[in-house]
Amino acid sequence: MRDVRPVLGAAAMAAVFALWHGGAFAQMNHQHASEAACEETVLRCASKVTPAFGPDGTLWLVWMAGGQISVASSKDDGKTFSVPVQVTRENLNLDWGPDARPKIAIDRKGRIALAFSIFRDKAFNGQVLTTQSNDGGKSFAPLRPITSNNESQRFAAIAFEPDGTVFAAWLDKRNRVPARQNGKPYDGAGLFFATSKDGGSTYSDAQLVADNTCECCRLGLALDGAGRPVIVFRNIFEGGVRDHAVVTFKDPALPGEVHRVSRDDWQIAACPHHGPSLSISPSGTYHVAWYTNGRARKGLFYARSTDGGKTFSNPLPIGEPNRSPSRPQVIAGPNGLMMVWKEFDGEKTEIKLMTSQDDGASWSTSRGIASTTDSSDHPLLVSDSRRVYLSWMTKADGYRFQPIEGEP
Amino acid sequence: MKRELLAAAFLLGTLSITAAAEDAELKPFERGSWQQIVHSHAGRPTLVHFWGVTCGPCKVELPQLGQFMKDHPGIDVVTISADLVPNLPDATRSMLQKAGLSPAENWMFSDGFADRLRFEIDPAWQGDIPRTMLIARSGAVTTIEGSAEMPELDKWAQGQAATTGSRQ
Repeated sequence: MRDVRPVLGAAAMAAVFALWHGGAFAQMNHQHASEAACEETVLRCASKVTPAFGPDGTLWLVWMAGGQISVASSKDDGKTFSVPVQVTRENLNLDWGPDARPKIAIDRKGRIALAFSIFRDKAFNGQVLTTQSNDGGKSFAPLRPITSNNESQRFAAIAFEPDGTVFAAWLDKRNRVPARQNGKPYDGAGLFFATSKDGGSTYSDAQLVADNTCECCRLGLALDGAGRPVIVFRNIFEGGVRDHAVVTFKDPALPGEVHRVSRDDWQIAACPHHGPSLSISPSGTYHVAWYTNGRARKGLFYARSTDGGKTFSNPLPIGEPNRSPSRPQVIAGPNGLMMVWKEFDGEKTEIKLMTSQDDGASWSTSRGIASTTDSSDHPLLVSDSRRVYLSWMTKADGYRFQPIEGEP
Repeated sequence: MKRELLAAAFLLGTLSITAAAEDAELKPFERGSWQQIVHSHAGRPTLVHFWGVTCGPCKVELPQLGQFMKDHPGIDVVTISADLVPNLPDATRSMLQKAGLSPAENWMFSDGFADRLRFEIDPAWQGDIPRTMLIARSGAVTTIEGSAEMPELDKWAQGQAATTGSRQ
């Protein structure tokens, strides 16, 4: 474990800089260098917040703040929250990567499963930890690694299948070990999965979906109408091209064929830190939004598949290209599709929204629904049976949870 | 005020022992820093490298850039750690030192609003690292996304040296 926790590192760094710059920096807020507003474990100090609705309409949040993971719930659509329950007990070096965040899933019986990653050594090797609550979020079990393997793991995504099985997928570098032993290069990380039959307490042995996927981007995970997991991920195609791919499981333990979402031709040996978003509408249509900087196209794009991910529509550009559009999220809600993303004009980050009433065949013009003038988490969308909400953690304005009204 | 300075001095002492031994300085990259860098190197061929301690490809490339700096003393080498906060000064210095880049001009993102810092550098840059900008004597900028090919960098450096020759 690292001896300097992130928040302490940021504060110490600010102090050092203050000395270097003498008086000019003496007034500097020591939190200036941090993406969080404060250092406590409360929601206001969070850098990453992930929402999910329970079956009874309760809103659940899991967040990263003060070097800890905490959970709280709201019965009034985010107006007030329960007393937070701290899930982590010791000081862990939580994965603060731009695309990392704690994940939460709730099943029909109200069981809660969590997954998040930590940096477990000074080389920033990751480890995915899990826990669960069987008492409605009052308490969480001690943390357990999702796999016994010790190679780096990050970017877990979890979902409850209809029968109560927890499905988990993550990126895992274990296969670079045998490759190296054979003197072969190994690019990226493997996409692995496991399932839990006990609500997320113990997971099955990890199984490989695909080798050589991009190691530093979040996964897009959704269940189709039959409860089969579908994962969209940034793959590494032939020639080091980091374009997106999709896999639909034939059953929860059997990944199907990997198909390409689009040919952006982004050949890059780098960490884009910018993963895709996936949602599946009741019609079975896959909706994918992603970022690329490829030779074929650059920016944010949306495409849909009406044949279970085998083929996708022509990518539709999203956002104002000169406003650095980023972090797209798409959701199939009770009143159609909604998509949000960030735009930045040099001073202000704005969350833009567009909607579709015809399953993604056409989209509305975009409009701004929120903004902030300091750092912020990714904009996330979550829905209950009635409507869709924007969940957005901002440093300057705190946590925002707002219903998205209908058509602009 | 005195107490604050003492506290800061204590932190500096504990955090930058390595830095002191190597005389390495890690400058805070904030609003306006980019223009400062561009102005201070104007008219000199400059390689600016963006990287981060958690970036796998960066770990491979950084020592190659250390060698590049040794091979091309006529090129100004600037590194900017552009990982999203919290940046880790100890880890950053340690990796720079191991790569032989302590003598370079080293910066680290020190504003939590990294989007704004990136926007000043290149509005189209979404934060992928490594990334290298080659700023020619003429001010012409070539951006290399991802890991740079060292022969390509050598060729550019030699081209810049030739430019000097023609002007002399």
